[in-house]
Formats: sequence, C-alpha cells, structure tokens
Amino acid sequence: MLMFLLKLPASGRQRPATSLLAKCKRIVLFIACLQCLSVLAYSQITAQGKVVNESNSPVAGVTVALKNSTTATTTDEAGNFTLRLPSANAVLVFSSIGYTTRELPAGTNMSVQLQPLNNTLGEVVVVGYGTQRRVSVSGAVDKISAETIEGKPVANVSQALQGTSPNLIIQQRNFEPGQGLNINIRGLGTLGNNDPLVVIDGIVGGDINLLNPTDIESVSVLKDAGTAAIYGSRAANGVLLITTKKGRKNQKPTLSYEGIYGITHPEIMAQPVHAWENAYYKNESLVNSGRQPVYSASNIQQIAAQGDGDWRLSSILKNAAQQNHSISIRGGGETNTYLMSFGYLNQENNFIGPNYGWKRYNLRLNQSTEVGKFRLTTILSYVKSDGKDHSSSTGTLTVDASRVPLLYNFQDSLGRYLTNAVSSEFNPKAILENGGYRRYNNDEVFGSFTGELSVTRDLKIRGVFGGTVRSNQTFGRRMQLSFLPGGSYGQDREVYDDNYKSLLTNTQLIAEYKKRFGFHDVTLLAGGSNESFKSEGNSIRKTLTDPTFGIPTTGTVVDPNSANSNQRTSESSLSSLFGRAGYSYNDKYIGEFSFRYDGSSNFPKEGRWGFFPSVSAAWRLTEEGFLNNFRTHVGDMKLRASYGMLGNQNVSPYQYQTSYFNYANAYGFNNNIVGGAGFTLGNPEITWEKATTANIGLDAELLRKKLFVSFDVFDKTTSDILVARDDVPALFGAGFPNYNAAKVRNRGWETSITYRIPGKTFRHSFNFNIADNKNELLNYTFGAQEQVLRKEEFEFVRRVGLPITVYQGFRRDGYFQTLDDTKTYAKPANATVVPGDIRFKDKNGDGVIDDQDKYILGNPFPRYTFGFTYNINFKGFDAQVFIQGVGRRELMIRGELVEPFHVGYSGTMYTHQTDYWTPTNPNAKWPRLAEAGSPSNQNNYRTGSDIYLFDAAYARLKNVQIGYSLPVSVAERAHLKGARIYLTGQNLATLTKLDFIDPENSEFGNNTSMGASANSGRAYPLPVFYGVGLNVTF
Amino acid sequence: MVRIVFRSVVFFWLLVGVLASCKKMDLTPTDRFTELNFWESGENVNNALNNVYNRMYNSQLFFYNEALSDNAYTRLGISSGFPDVITSGSFTTTLARFIDEWNYYYTGIKAANIFLDNVDKNKTLDAPTKERMKAEVRFVRAFHYFKLTNWWGDVPLLKTDISPDDAKTIGRTPKAEVVKFITDELDAVAAILPTNVQYSANDRGRITKAAAKALKARVLLYQGNRMAEVVAICEDLMNNQSANGSYSLVPKYEDVFSPTNEYNSEVILDLQYVPNLRTWGEYIDFAPLSAGARSNNMAPTQELVNSYVMLNGKRINETGSGYDENNPYAGRDPRLAATVVYNGATWRNANGTTQTIYIKPGSDPDASAKNEYKASGQGTATGYYWRKYYDPTATAGFNSGLNLILIRYAEVLLMYAEAKNALGQMTQEVWNKTIRPLRVRAGFTDPAALSFPSTGDLTAIIRNERRTEFAMEGLRIDDIRRWKIAEQVLNGWTHGAKFGDPSVDNGYLRVQLRNFDPSRHYLWPVPAAELGKNGNLSQNPNY
Repeated sequence: MLMFLLKLPASGRQRPATSLLAKCKRIVLFIACLQCLSVLAYSQITAQGKVVNESNSPVAGVTVALKNSTTATTTDEAGNFTLRLPSANAVLVFSSIGYTTRELPAGTNMSVQLQPLNNTLGEVVVVGYGTQRRVSVSGAVDKISAETIEGKPVANVSQALQGTSPNLIIQQRNFEPGQGLNINIRGLGTLGNNDPLVVIDGIVGGDINLLNPTDIESVSVLKDAGTAAIYGSRAANGVLLITTKKGRKNQKPTLSYEGIYGITHPEIMAQPVHAWENAYYKNESLVNSGRQPVYSASNIQQIAAQGDGDWRLSSILKNAAQQNHSISIRGGGETNTYLMSFGYLNQENNFIGPNYGWKRYNLRLNQSTEVGKFRLTTILSYVKSDGKDHSSSTGTLTVDASRVPLLYNFQDSLGRYLTNAVSSEFNPKAILENGGYRRYNNDEVFGSFTGELSVTRDLKIRGVFGGTVRSNQTFGRRMQLSFLPGGSYGQDREVYDDNYKSLLTNTQLIAEYKKRFGFHDVTLLAGGSNESFKSEGNSIRKTLTDPTFGIPTTGTVVDPNSANSNQRTSESSLSSLFGRAGYSYNDKYIGEFSFRYDGSSNFPKEGRWGFFPSVSAAWRLTEEGFLNNFRTHVGDMKLRASYGMLGNQNVSPYQYQTSYFNYANAYGFNNNIVGGAGFTLGNPEITWEKATTANIGLDAELLRKKLFVSFDVFDKTTSDILVARDDVPALFGAGFPNYNAAKVRNRGWETSITYRIPGKTFRHSFNFNIADNKNELLNYTFGAQEQVLRKEEFEFVRRVGLPITVYQGFRRDGYFQTLDDTKTYAKPANATVVPGDIRFKDKNGDGVIDDQDKYILGNPFPRYTFGFTYNINFKGFDAQVFIQGVGRRELMIRGELVEPFHVGYSGTMYTHQTDYWTPTNPNAKWPRLAEAGSPSNQNNYRTGSDIYLFDAAYARLKNVQIGYSLPVSVAERAHLKGARIYLTGQNLATLTKLDFIDPENSEFGNNTSMGASANSGRAYPLPVFYGVGLNVTF
Repeated sequence: MVRIVFRSVVFFWLLVGVLASCKKMDLTPTDRFTELNFWESGENVNNALNNVYNRMYNSQLFFYNEALSDNAYTRLGISSGFPDVITSGSFTTTLARFIDEWNYYYTGIKAANIFLDNVDKNKTLDAPTKERMKAEVRFVRAFHYFKLTNWWGDVPLLKTDISPDDAKTIGRTPKAEVVKFITDELDAVAAILPTNVQYSANDRGRITKAAAKALKARVLLYQGNRMAEVVAICEDLMNNQSANGSYSLVPKYEDVFSPTNEYNSEVILDLQYVPNLRTWGEYIDFAPLSAGARSNNMAPTQELVNSYVMLNGKRINETGSGYDENNPYAGRDPRLAATVVYNGATWRNANGTTQTIYIKPGSDPDASAKNEYKASGQGTATGYYWRKYYDPTATAGFNSGLNLILIRYAEVLLMYAEAKNALGQMTQEVWNKTIRPLRVRAGFTDPAALSFPSTGDLTAIIRNERRTEFAMEGLRIDDIRRWKIAEQVLNGWTHGAKFGDPSVDNGYLRVQLRNFDPSRHYLWPVPAAELGKNGNLSQNPNY
C-alpha cells in the first residue's frame, strides 16, 4: 500500500528530472573534456590516501569530493579513500562533521590531517521529523552524542543520560535492577504526568530503558516550544529524540566489540548499634518513659560477651556481577548501508538468593537501500528482557533485616530459619533464599519502514510505517515457609501470571522541501500521521495451590482479582497534521514556524482537536559587518528566541464518560458470595492541557573556539491542567475524574559551558552544565486554593502560590531544657513535656502549638541540577571524570531511620541516632529517648516536624574511566582498526549531608503526586560499581 | 511542471487526510455500562444493592473502635485509624481519621441515594421486589446517618443524590432532625422488610424487619430521653415474635461468635463475610503470637478485665467478692475467658490441640516466650490478648469469613433493662427477662449473681453488664459518650496487667496516658478540609 502511494507522484516526475540531469552531465563532461584537452594529460587518474585526525587516528566517513563537481566518496573505517578523477590536476575537498574542511590537490598517496572544528555550530542536530544544521537552529535543543554514553557501566540509557544535559533532570530513586528512573525536562509543569515524549528513530512510544546504550548515535533534547511544537499535544514535557547508529555508504564491513565487566558493591549506610549498646539505649528509653528497664547490668555484660548476631542488612546482600557486551557489524556499499548489532546485559541483583537480576538481549538491524531516487530504510529491533526478583517487597525485606537489634541471627546452627520478637513472623533471609520469586519475561519488537522518494533534488516525500509490539509476562510464586520458633510466610501459596500485550502503530506521510536561492535558505515540511494504541492484559491468580508445583489442588481458590482481557483493554488513537517552515538569510537571520493539529480519542468530540503552533527566530549577530572585529577577537554569538503552545494529553482514556461497572465479591448472603456494581463519574468537557512557552537563548563560541557557552531562560505557563477536582467536600460522596482546572507556571534557566584545551601531547576538555527551574501553582481546582494530605506524621501540601507539592509540618525550636521551660513555652494542646523534648515554633504566638503553627518545610523536587565532565588525553591514555548532582532538594524521611525504636516496630537504634538529648548533652541532634505511646514520643515524633526534614543536596562522582588505546601502528599489526581498554567505576563517592540514606531517595515519581506514601527510606542500597571495559574494532 | 506539482500537493494532502481520519476516534471501554443502559438489567440492580451492603460498615471500624474506649489500647494507631491519637487528646482537626470516616459514610450515602434515585428506571423487576430492595438501601442509609450523628452531632442530611455544587453549599442539619429522619425511615422500612423467618435461607444476611426495629431502639436509647419508646420497641421484639421474626439467646456465650454457629438465633444484623472470597484479617494482630499472630496491635486493658464480676456477682473491689489480686482470673464471670486471653489461659488451636498462654514475664517454660509481655517487641502491650471472634477455620494469615455481628438479641434485652431502669421501672420481673438469662447463658450458677439485687447501684450493674457482654463488639465507646462518663474513664493512665514496677500504680503497667476534654471531645471536629470547601459548614464547639 505504502509503496503504491509513493510511486504515484514519482512516476509523474521521473522523466523531466532525468532529462535535466542528463543535460547537466553532458555539459560537465564537455567542460571536463575541454580541460583534459588543454593540458594534454592522460584521461583519468585515481586519487587515493588516508585521512587522520589531529592525533593521527584514522577518520571514517569523511566526504572526499572533487571540487565543483558531484564526484565524491567517503573514507572507510581505516580512513582510506579511493576516488577516480577525470584529471590529475584536480582539487579535492575533505569535509566531515566536526572537522575543518580542507582543500588539497589530488594525489596518489595522500596523507590528510583534519583539524577538529571545535565548532558546535557546524554539527547536524536531529530535530522533529528531520535534521538541522546547528547553525540554523533557532530553538532550545541539546544534543547528547554517543561518546557521552560510552564506557559508562549503565544498565539503561536513562542512567547514562543523568547529568549530561542541563535541565534534563534524571533521578534514580531506586537502584534495584529492572527499576526505572524519573526523567524530566525543565522540571514540573503539570500536576499529572511529567514524562517527556520519547521518540526513537522517528517513532513515538518506545521504551528508552529497553535500548542498548551502545546502539545510540545521538540523543536530542527538545526543550522549548520552538523545537517541540511539531509534536504538539504530547510535547509539553519536552521531547527526547533518540537516533540509533547506522552504517555508512562505501564503508567496508567493520566489526566492533564493546564490553564492560564489573562488580557492584551494595553500600549500606545505616548501621545498627552493637547489641549491648542497644540494650543500654532501650533501658534509657524505657526509664525515660516511666517504665522499668528490661536489661540488667549482667544481661548487658552477657550480650556484650556473646557478640553481635548476623541479623542485619549486610547478611542478605552480596556483591554482584554486572556485564554488558555488544557486537556490531556495520558497513555499506554504493547504494546501501547496514548495521547489525547484538547486545547483552546481565545485571545481577545484590540480594542473596537464587539468581535474582535482570538480563537484556538486544538485536538490531538498521539498513537502507537506494534504488534510483527511492530509498528504503528499515529498522528492526528485538529486545528480550528477562528478570527475576524475590516474591516479597524490597522495602519489607530491607526493613525487617535492618531494624532488628544485633542480638539475633537469621539461622540457628542447624541452618534452620529463625524469627524473633522484633521481626515478628518474617525471616528475610529465608524469604530471599526459598520464598519464591517473580519472573519477568518481556519482549518488544520494534520496526519501522521508511520509503523516501527524491522527487526533485529539493523535494522529498517520505512515508513511514512503524510499530511496536510489546508482550510482557510476569509469573510469580510464593512458597510456604515456616520459621522457628514460630511465624510463617506465603501461607496463601499464591501463583499468578500477569500478561500484557500492546500494539502501537504509527503511520506518517511527510513532504520536505529544501532550497537555497542565493542567500535565501528555505525549508518546508508538511505531514500527517496517525498513532493507534491498543493494549490488553489478563491476570490469573490462584491461592492455596499445591506446595510443590504450584498447581491447583484440593482447596485451591481462584483469586477474585484475576482478570480477563476484556477487563484490561485500553485503546487510544491520535491523528495529526503538522508542518514546519524555515527561512534563513545567509545564516544570519533565521526564522521558523511550526505547528501540529492533533485529534485524540481520549477526549470527547467537542474538545478533541487542538492546534499547537510555535514561532522561533535566531540572529547570529557576529555575522553583522559592524561586529567583524568582535568576531575575530572574541568569537561567534547567536541569539535565539521562541514562543509557542504545547499540549499534554497524558490522560487515561474514557474519562469523559460516566460509567457503571460490575465487580466480584462485593458481599455475601448465606455464605454465598455476590457481586456488586459501582460507578465512575465522567467529565464530559475534558480536553487538552495547554502550555505556553517562551524561551530566550544565547550560544557563543569564544576564545578562538575553545570555549563554548550556551544559556537559556524559559517561562512556561501550563493551563487547563487535568486534576481531580478538590473543591468539592467529601460529603459529595464520590471521587472525580480529572478536570481542566489547574494552572502552573514554571520558570528556569540552564547553561552549559564547554572548554577545550587542544594540544600536541595533552588535550583536556571540561564541560559543566547547571540548571534550575521553579514551578508555582497559579490555580488549583475551581477556586479551591489548597489540598493538604496527611502522610503519617507530616503533610503534603498543594497550595496556590507554592511549588506543586511541598512538605508541611512544625519547625523545631531547640529543646525544653528545664522544668521552667516546660511550663512557659508553647506546646501542643494536652501535651505533657519534660526537659529533652522538642520545642516547636509558635508561629502565630498564641501560646499553643496547633495546625496554625505549621510551616512549609520544603520542596521535594531537585533544583540546581548539575553535571561536570573532565576529559584528558595523553598519547594513548585517556581519563574521564564525571560528577553529577543536585544543588538543592528537601527530603522528608520518617520511620526507624529517624525515630529510635520506631513506634515499637523497630528494635534497634542506629549509629547515626546516638547523639540524643541528655542533661549533659543539651545541644544534641535528637531529642531524649522515649518509648512509643509516651507523652515525650508523642510530642517529639508523632507531631510531624522538621525532625523528619533533611537536606538532600549532593554531588556524586558518578563515573571515572581510565583508558588506554593501542597506537594505530600496533593495532594494525594485530589486524585491528582500534582497541581501547579501560577501567571504569560508577557511583564511586557521594558528597552529601545525609549520612544514613542515599540522597536520591524519594517517595515521589515524576509528578510529585500527592498519592505518594510518606518516605520511610527502606530502599535498595546504592550499588558502587568497579569494572573493566574493552572496545575492539576489527 | 506546475500542474504536476499542484497535482502532487493536492494528492499529498488527500492522502494525509485519509490517513489521519481513517482511525475510529470514538472509543468505548470494553467492560462497562453507561448511565443509560445500566439500570435496565435486574442483575445490575441487584449488584448495585450489594454494593450498598458492601459499604455499610467494615471490620476495621468494627474492631478498632474498641481502642477508642477504655476496653482496649492500640499502639500502632497509624494502621488502624489513629484511635491512639484520639485517646491521647492531642489531635487536631486535620487528623486523617476524621475525614476518612466522614468520607466513608457519605460515600455509602451516595451509593444509597443513587440507587434510590435510579432503581425505578428498571422495568424487569417486580414492584414488591424493588420496594424491598429500596427498604434495604434506606436502612443502610439510616445506619450511616446514625454513625455520623453519633460522632459529629449535626451533619448534612442528604435525602437524594446531590450535585457537586450542592455539596459546596449545604449546611449541617440539627441532630434532632437527623435523628427524626433516621427513626422515620426505620419505621417506614420496618413495615416493608420481611422477617428472618420470611426470608428464604439463601437470603440469610439481608436486613430484616427486626433489624430496623432494633436499630431504632438503639438510636432512641442513645438519645437518653426517649426510654419509653425504647421499652415499647423492645417489648415488641421480645413478645411479638410472630410478627417480627424469631430470636433467642444462644445457650452458650462463646457459640454466638463461632464460625460453626453463623446465622444463629441471636443475630439480628451482621456484616457478611464469606470464607476465602470476602474476608477480614484484623485478627492477625489480636491473637497470642504463639497462635500464629503477626504482632499485637490491640490489646484488652486491665480496666476491662477488672470490669468482669466475680461468679458471685460482686465487683472485684466489693467486700466479700473473694477476689485475689495474686490469682486474679479465678472465680470470674466466664465471659472474661471467652473474651480475653490472660496469663495462664488455655488456647484452643485450630487443629483442636490446646496450649497454655504464658504472658507473665519469666513464666513461659519455652525459651522463646513468644507471648510474654515485654516492654518492647511485637507482643501485647497490656499483658492480655483477645479471644472473642477468634476463627479457628480462618485461612492462613487469619483471613476469616466469619460474620461480624452488629446487633444481637442480647442487646435488645439489655436495652430493655437499661430503659426500664431509667424510667424507674426496674423490677425483678424485668431482671428475670434480661440480665438473669444473660448470666445464666454466660455460665453463672450462684444465685447471688442470678437473682435481682435488692441493694446496690442498679444503673452501674446494668451498665457494667452491657460492657462485659459486648466487649470487643464496638459498643463501649458509644456508651461512654452517651453516658457522659468519658472524663472519668478516658483520662489518665490506661493500664495493663500487674507485670510492672510495684511502686508505680501498684504494679499495673502504664500503657497510655489519656486525655479527654469534656468541653469538646464529646463531639468530633468536622474535618478541617471540609470546612475549607464549604463555607456553610460549621465547626463543633471549641475546635
């Protein structure tokens, strides 16, 4: 079908174009012949040689062209080229992205050295539905190249991107293999989903974490309306355009291997105190609460003598191996290119137990073929990810292993699993080793077929058909375990299968016209597309199954939460028209307009279609004659500005319809179960969120192209934000679907500074990027100004005038130090306090601590995110240091890591808690010890205050690499094109004020949802990676 | 050339248009009804009714309300609706419990109102069936209003489904008017609902005529000044069983709550659970740890234990009671052992074997001493565990399908006794119809306990009988509040067993310091979030 469509206009144009070209060729030939005759030389020669870079390494893909002609070739992986020329007296032009272009007389054994351009304006940037020269970019787009990703021992692309681009904010709040990261561009603009749109090789809807990092050629981060509006209704959160590597024309087959192998070590930060110390603290806590101590002096001596047990977090963790291997073959002929790659990742889990971890297999085939004016590009990728983890929850296992006093052991001398009074009935070690598992078996097939017809030299028509099939399965089993002296796990002997299958298809038809008339450069692009998505899922759950095989037996119950596909079907469709018109005058004045017109099935007819336009302009002021002097002595400068509207349609389908649904097991009569029926209110007026975005930027190349600076400021106001209305009292009796009600303003800036010091022996480069953004809720719902949700001890607040979600609670004001203090200072109503208890600030000075005295305590979203990269090359050696961090973030953590003997659940104190108040330690970090239920505990820990608030700013030595590349001569002798071996380390050190938990830890996903639970910090530990990598090219 | 370009452009946009519009955009869910077609089906109407039942009440409220009273203590109130914070007296109007429970009842009221507003759209069910279904729904709605008005006094009274705008402007209806609505509704539905005899066996668990009458009696009893009406309803239920359905005491107290005895003759209204399919699981935090409990999250207080009289009918502190503080559980009201697990009690395991529960520190011959009281750890905080509602047939994790009784016939008897006494009409005859049969059934044999007390405070005796008969059934906190005794019984230290320092409170464990301010705590605060959204809602005094 597609082929047919594309052929039609082609056949109409074939003839005139050919005849014109033929005419031109004849003229060229004629002139060439005249030249030949005039010098009486032989008719043809062959130019041949090798192109190397400033460090004499071969440069592949350099275009070698006969000046003023169409005769051209490209260099192969070894930098070699051969070009047949009509005349020996020819001039060859050597050009390659990133290098200064050179013109040299043709020869037979040329050695051409290219100097790096150090001119980012010269590069090509992938933008929506096309590419642009950096020089003519007028919006805010950041390009991350493959080198940024190489050598980092990462399990997925998101990890590799962290810290690489300003305001590409990536937060890894969970380090467990298989877990995703929070990705966000320029902060939070909406109350719902803030995930950027991910476009992989032109197709929307791919999973960034399923890509093999070494397959990536570049990542473009579209940040403003100028660049993103062409993605219209889904671009409000920014766009990540990922382009995978391709083969090159006229390139000999090149085989590459890239691999990293290493060990991850789990870093446990909170350490319980010794058992005997803990007994002492417990006694103090009891006595402080008016109770009797439980340990006598001889008890404590005995505990000290017998030493600590092994019941602790480190006993259920181990060092784990992590490895990635990739093999690729790439090349191309006159009319085709190809790349085949295979990737393998094996990331073991740091938990003990039978082979927990993630494996991923990537297979990719990118190829293109030209037949005359028609080019077919095919991309096929298959990813299998294969994971296994334990059958419990990581938070539960972590906490059960870490809040038990060091009095206990996991197993007795016979290896039998034990329980104790603190852990109650669970033994995390037994659960990890024998308690069952969850196995994930996920497949993704991605394919896209692009047919491109060059109707004329300037006009191309492109048809794209792409799709993603995803098939995910989770099989889980809980085994029944019994412990000594009592307690058990998995008594329900649950077995389940969850299946999910989805198909996303994307059809595009695009026409693109590019033409230069003298100083006028014009580009036009128009297109239409449809994306349709359908997912189906089912879930089979059974309990009380056969203990050996998990199959049904006497007493087996089919869980009422089992679901068939008709209960788990979701469908949506998006149809769009889009276009872009660009104009550039002599690369000095640049203007662009782009738009998208989107219709989504997620909205009712009336609000279905939305128009999202943008304009942008750039001025390269140093191209002006009057700034010639400045340009010569200081450098190039470009000013950019853009303005436009973007949309957000990340809503669940069907919300505009009120519906009734039946459900199972609502009630029973006479011990027979009956079903029930509930309803979901709809919002018939639901429509898009709209983000109006303005951006102003400056790009500068200074100090003879050694220093590159880019700076952007933006101001984005998102209105009609979909939010469950919160203006209606609960007495209405039902929840609401989302309404277009809220409004958020998000402002910020970002800058990136790169400084390169080229040199003969030493070459250094520095890159530093830093960004900030600050959002403010301008409207909430239907006049409601705030929502306050109590989360255990403290509160999450959404309030007009503040960032989207903030923490709220009391502020501490030292301690009651004397009995007099306890009488004079304000305290909560009915509270009984004693010296050593926390005093709270009486904000309104009314003499009592109540809800009116609560403060906004902080913003959990990262600010001043930064990245710093330093590279040094010395002969064959190279080193890279990469630091990434967050300049400001507030984090609230509750639970045993803060409160000693947390509400009776926790049995131990940690080393970071021992600086508590006593009469002789009046300025302690923590209040006096007291038992749960005591008035002191009620005052100090149940009254949510900034005792739970921590500064989560950090700077992390994220990656260090030290490498050595074989000199070309040595490599060639070994029949290699290149080889590099390196040591690499990840998460090596972290500078932070938090001493008991990783500072990236957060209860919030990418939207600071009020639905999050208060953070108890029970997280998988930070893995520190040490390893070795090898890259070899044959 | 121009023509070709023009043709191509037109063709291109045509193609784009076709491509963009070929996909269907009006998509509907595959598993749901619309407002229009839902009520057409009788099955759906039945399901909507079941949904109303589903939202009537729940096991967490049923059990953990005990910890709001002087009968129990919970230390992990976060997971059980914050009863510990409420009893500490230092709570604010933003406490999650208030908005959660308010929301719970109004969600149930909405489900009921939507049912009542729409059920007549159905044309397949016959009129009497629809009337009965409506009566069931109206009962549940009255039940919600009764709960609401108990906690908050004046509350918004919604008789039909309301719009969001209504919800933002509606004010509180005076309590008297809400109570009138409840009693009128209960009168109306009592006239429609079948009796427990009239319902077929498959309908056991549905709301009956007697349930409507008994609930009305309880509503009136709580008002304190309508005792004559209470007397009339109770007499009707006791004497006119041919019209109201047949009810009697189960011969053995423990059997009332046993899974083998569901739907027994004493049950007037119970929450329905079905083994494996619809279960409650609170018991995993109530039982002795050696019986398979996870931890102890609610434990009986010493004050509750003390309230059980001796077998001779005397309070433990009365002269001649024979109470021995060093052997405190001997010679006590047998309902104590049926309700509370104390040190040395015998526990019958699910498999029929028995074990002795050692709670006193240092008493357990087994080194692990799982049940022993410890100042820290997962065991009991008071030195007691619960026994009532233990379901030996529950599946692993104490997931039980045992019905939870909301109203039972014993309460009709005790309401009758209390109302008669309040009217000054407590006589031997009344005693012999009420407390005597309850004590006989409990296992008392001593005539001193069974016969009408010629001396003593009859009010105190009847109130104490109510406390011990219904401990762990959620009634105590209501009684404390309507008798206005909270400032006496919910202030100061709550205690556990005598395992503590003898110099402090005579060795009885101090478990929680409680605080009750009679100037405000008799009514809960209207949730702060509600006041912010509806300017016409007023707050209760002194919040």
